[in-house]
Amino acid sequence: MFTIRVNGVEHTVDASEDKPLLWVLRENLKLTGTKYGCGQALCGSCTVHVDGQPTRSCVMPISAVGNKQIRTIEDINTEHIGSLVQQTWQTLNVPQCGYCQSGQIMAATALLKNNASPSDQDIDKAMSGNICRCGTYPRIRKAIHKIAAEQL
Amino acid sequence: MTELDKISRRDFIRVSVLAGGGLLVACGGGGSSSRSNAPSGPGDNGGGTPVTPADAFQVGEFMRISTDNKITVLVGASEIGQGALTSIPMIVAEELDADWSQVTAEMSPVAANFNNPYFQNLLQFTVASSAIRGYFQGQRSVGAAVRQMLINAAAKRWGVEADTLRTEASFVIDDIGGRRASYGELSSAAAEEPIPNNPPLKDPAAYRIIGSSQQRLDAADKTNGSFRYGMDVDIPNMLTAVIARPPRFNGQALNVDDNAALAVPGVRSVHTILGGVAVVADDFWSADKGRKALIVQWNELLAGRTDSDTQRNAYNLRLNLPGLPIRTDGLVLLAQTLASETISADYYFPFMAHAAMEPLNVVVDYDGSSAEIWTGTQSATLDKIFAGLILGLLPDQITFHMMPSGGGFGRRGNPLADFVRDACAVAKAVRQPVKVIWTREDDMKGGFYRPAAAVRVSASIDSANNISAWTHRSVTQDVTALLYAENLLDSLADFTLPPLKELTDFETGMPYKIDNVLMDAHLTVNLAMPALWMRSVNKFSDVFAQETFIDELAMKVGKNPYNFRRDLLSEKPRHRAVLDAVADAAGWGFSSGGISQGIAVMGHWNSFVAQVVEVSVSANRELTIHRVVSAVDCGTAINPDLVIAQVESAVIFALSSILFGEILLEDGVVQQSNFDDYPVLRMYQTPVIETVIVNSGNPVGGVGELGVPCVGPALANAIFEATNERIRELPLTRSNFKIA
Ligand code: FES
Ligand code: FES
Repeated sequence: MFTIRVNGVEHTVDASEDKPLLWVLRENLKLTGTKYGCGQALCGSCTVHVDGQPTRSCVMPISAVGNKQIRTIEDINTEHIGSLVQQTWQTLNVPQCGYCQSGQIMAATALLKNNASPSDQDIDKAMSGNICRCGTYPRIRKAIHKIAAEQL
Repeated sequence: MTELDKISRRDFIRVSVLAGGGLLVACGGGGSSSRSNAPSGPGDNGGGTPVTPADAFQVGEFMRISTDNKITVLVGASEIGQGALTSIPMIVAEELDADWSQVTAEMSPVAANFNNPYFQNLLQFTVASSAIRGYFQGQRSVGAAVRQMLINAAAKRWGVEADTLRTEASFVIDDIGGRRASYGELSSAAAEEPIPNNPPLKDPAAYRIIGSSQQRLDAADKTNGSFRYGMDVDIPNMLTAVIARPPRFNGQALNVDDNAALAVPGVRSVHTILGGVAVVADDFWSADKGRKALIVQWNELLAGRTDSDTQRNAYNLRLNLPGLPIRTDGLVLLAQTLASETISADYYFPFMAHAAMEPLNVVVDYDGSSAEIWTGTQSATLDKIFAGLILGLLPDQITFHMMPSGGGFGRRGNPLADFVRDACAVAKAVRQPVKVIWTREDDMKGGFYRPAAAVRVSASIDSANNISAWTHRSVTQDVTALLYAENLLDSLADFTLPPLKELTDFETGMPYKIDNVLMDAHLTVNLAMPALWMRSVNKFSDVFAQETFIDELAMKVGKNPYNFRRDLLSEKPRHRAVLDAVADAAGWGFSSGGISQGIAVMGHWNSFVAQVVEVSVSANRELTIHRVVSAVDCGTAINPDLVIAQVESAVIFALSSILFGEILLEDGVVQQSNFDDYPVLRMYQTPVIETVIVNSGNPVGGVGELGVPCVGPALANAIFEATNERIRELPLTRSNFKIA
């Protein structure tokens, strides 16, 4: 039994200690917005915030979560920047299949929270761990710049 | 209506038609089977309140108009990221004269009246850039017919002639009488109107929705985590399974020691199925751990032993033998004899994986007498048929939910339905709802790759420095061979497949003005090596060879590659228009600062594209791709911003393939497993991408694959410009190029 804090709510979960947070979120807590893409910290689909840090939940065993605060895509609109990112993603038609976008949005939100006017290099650094097979990178870059220029 | 007659004679299809509730689909209209909500009579409406509590009517289940004026369009094409859930409703809404802000979309059920007209109304099948091309005309007719019914209902209500009324933004308007009624108010009465046979369609000049850039209807749900993919389906008592598959294709489980697997907490059962050994558990993690603990001995008597190196040698030998002619113009042999010079080049392209972001997955709930299936697929009709065969059910005993997909690129359009069959086999053994999940590794190693290909092109130059002959020979695998080889197809009795072989998409459209042309092909059969179409199919390799070689010829005769192409395209105005547009947009010939440009052009899927790639190459062979500029003519762009998005997507998809894409087989064993050894393009490697739409006003063309084939040759031509090296094989890592 593990007690974890997700989106401001405490959950007690019956899972083996090595079960990754990703699958705890998806299967035990039914928070399916966080996606499985590779299971090896290679694609970023499973990115969540752990104490505000973008983290690959597919390689974080539930036993390592402890008291840390987890935030997922389902709750990121409660953060000002998270909701800006979501809105701008919609305005610019960023998502295609959309499967990678939860991870992209969590990574972009974390970037903009730390850096209100990221350069292209900053964006490359923060976003290159997130694969998008549909090739939405140009729009992601544009959206991040747009938020920084117009709303931060 | 002949197609319809054909369809209704086929049992499988006929049942689906009845289940779908309409038969008029083939002429693009719809029939209503659910008019129980109809009002008692027209004309008793006071001031815009609905006549009855009835809230919807259905036209062949293509759409619902509710009394609050909301319109839901059911989409028969798969949503794989290309925006079908937005652009197809736009077509309907245009002819309906709907208020676009009140339109939403849903995936249709799997039923014959949603079949893709492009595939002769036989299948719901979303491959070959066919969604818009296939559905366009029919969707317009549906919209126009319903609009007419709404007008007729209003005319009756007001006692005026229908042709004195007009429509705008979901209202029928009587200018003379100074009144208006919303579609919602009229919907119940309209359902009682006869369905017009040939409703007039709008003049494209009057389009308000088609041709305007609209936000995707799925944009909000795809940014807040609520959009549901197959992977997210969750039903009560659902178990999760993973399948241990043989190291070589077509291997069979011989001995299974499942003791350790069954000892893993959470693992429920282990089942040997045709394609492997399924481990069924309470959750994914237990299933995956169980699979790791499984000990399987495989019977590899019939297993595939495809080896990348051996196959390459064999294909290269085949290049020396004449293939099946697919285009013959003039007299190539004679022209070659008379030529002052004939030059040729050989090219090679490896197997590549689609690697869609959402790994394959299927949920099946089978109870022995009926089944419900959920999966992201591009080929729902065939999936459902194969599911019925595995489960021993008739189509009307199966409810098939075509889920939107986290990418497809062709992999989810497998006419063999491999992933659905596997899952049904597991469900049959388990008799409890089960989700079969493919891990990334399963997906990467699971076959059905873009097949390897070898291409030889040659050109003859006459004494006046003109190209007098052109030959093009392709060797590749027939990706539909398995379908015809498997006995499964025979059990489909009278089921006729559309000509899937055509989807091989060999390049026969070589557009240049050359009098003597011979194109031939070898389609090899390798039943132990599952291959499948991948975004742009053989255009990827054929156009690469064609467009790099034409560049070579330009250099040889001392001409600018753009002008050289332009001159040879004097009879191809649409090719020429995109070529000119891209040269203009990219500033062809004006690059500076160590940046080299390359160009390429092609037409297919009733669309045309030209692209310029700008690259610089460092001394240690590091490539920096600065910019990719595309000019596209897709006839009529339904939603221009989504067309641009598809081109951006295609450019990046192509760059992944060109730079790194390679599945290697050693003695039948796939060597790649995940994104570490099968890299794809990432943000920092992505160039600036600019796209211009050349609006030719022609009929709608395909867009999903259009941006792929020219990127490779344009990049290779730019690399030549920079290094004087010709690229004859992909990926570029093979030529020791790195990406900066
Ligand atoms: S699923 Fe976690 S990084 Fe890919
Ligand atoms: S939108 Fe499809 S993978 Fe990113």
